[in-house]
Amino acid sequence: MWIYEKRLQYPVKITKTCPKTAQLIISQYGGPDGELSASMRYLSQRYTMPDKGVGGLLTDIGTEELAHMEIICAMVYQLTKNLSVEQAKTAGFDAYYIDHTAGLWPQAAAGVPFTAKEFQSKGDAITDLTENLAAEQKARTVYDNLLRMITEPEVREPLKFLRAREVVHFQRFGEALEKTKESLDSDNFYFFNPEFDKQFLK
Amino acid sequence: MFDNKHLAIASVPTQSWEKVYDENEALHKGTIFPELDKPFFVTVESAEPEKKEDGRSEKQRQREELLLQIQKVSFVVDDVRLYMDTHPKDRQGLALLKAMVQRRKALLKEYALEFYPLTMDCMADIYEENPDSDCYCWQEGPCPWEGACV
Repeated sequence: MWIYEKRLQYPVKITKTCPKTAQLIISQYGGPDGELSASMRYLSQRYTMPDKGVGGLLTDIGTEELAHMEIICAMVYQLTKNLSVEQAKTAGFDAYYIDHTAGLWPQAAAGVPFTAKEFQSKGDAITDLTENLAAEQKARTVYDNLLRMITEPEVREPLKFLRAREVVHFQRFGEALEKTKESLDSDNFYFFNPEFDKQFLK
Repeated sequence: MFDNKHLAIASVPTQSWEKVYDENEALHKGTIFPELDKPFFVTVESAEPEKKEDGRSEKQRQREELLLQIQKVSFVVDDVRLYMDTHPKDRQGLALLKAMVQRRKALLKEYALEFYPLTMDCMADIYEENPDSDCYCWQEGPCPWEGACV
């Protein structure tokens, strides 16, 4: 169950229309390392986690990623809501405009649609937590790249916030992996799959 | 931990509780933990961007100020909750969480009574205060994504 709270986690107030910037930022909505992918990854992986606390962490981070998706969508929306056809033509937003007008649709910056192929839920706690460490780093790199290209302070502030969250989540997934290792034999962490071969769990 | 290092598997040292940012700084930094605050070199700008005077009404200014308070306090709750998920026995973390969830609850109630409810549960605050209210208040207020043009 989820409960909606009618506010953004971080304020977004963009006053200037800029479809070019929207086209870049939309990647963190539906792109390979975007927030939609992040939330679906964690919220899918949590069911079979052998450690209840790690399952709880995945729920909480997965939920926060949904709020991040809303921040990104709010940014894309505000960057395009007063869009003229002329602006759409000149700013590189034209192909998106033909298919979606100024509606929100999850895609990567290069137009590739969102797909569940971007993330894994492998049913092995070590594998999934290691994927999550990498996922947070990949998302951080995307925010780094966005921050190199975008100069507008009102757009940069939420991007800096979202980038900082990737670093914090990396730390938490690292701690979750340490916790998972505690229930395994350190001579061979790979002797069995802790999510499937439950008879071996300490 | 470094004293428990194993080959062929990732290791991340477990964080321990140190001094934390206050809520004003935390939302701006994106974390309550100074030791996890690792900015990117192209983003080293000083303070928050200046607030422009933009012809907002007094009521709107007050509403946005209270909403920002809620965002700041709620963000501390968000960040300390993730810390507690991996440190469930940490007393300092728990003390901060306890204080902040109570402040958050009071602020949400104040916002519901003064402006509009942010959650379904906040509607209970409105009807407790005014049992005869005939307002279906859930759709009141701007959509969260409207930003500057509310």
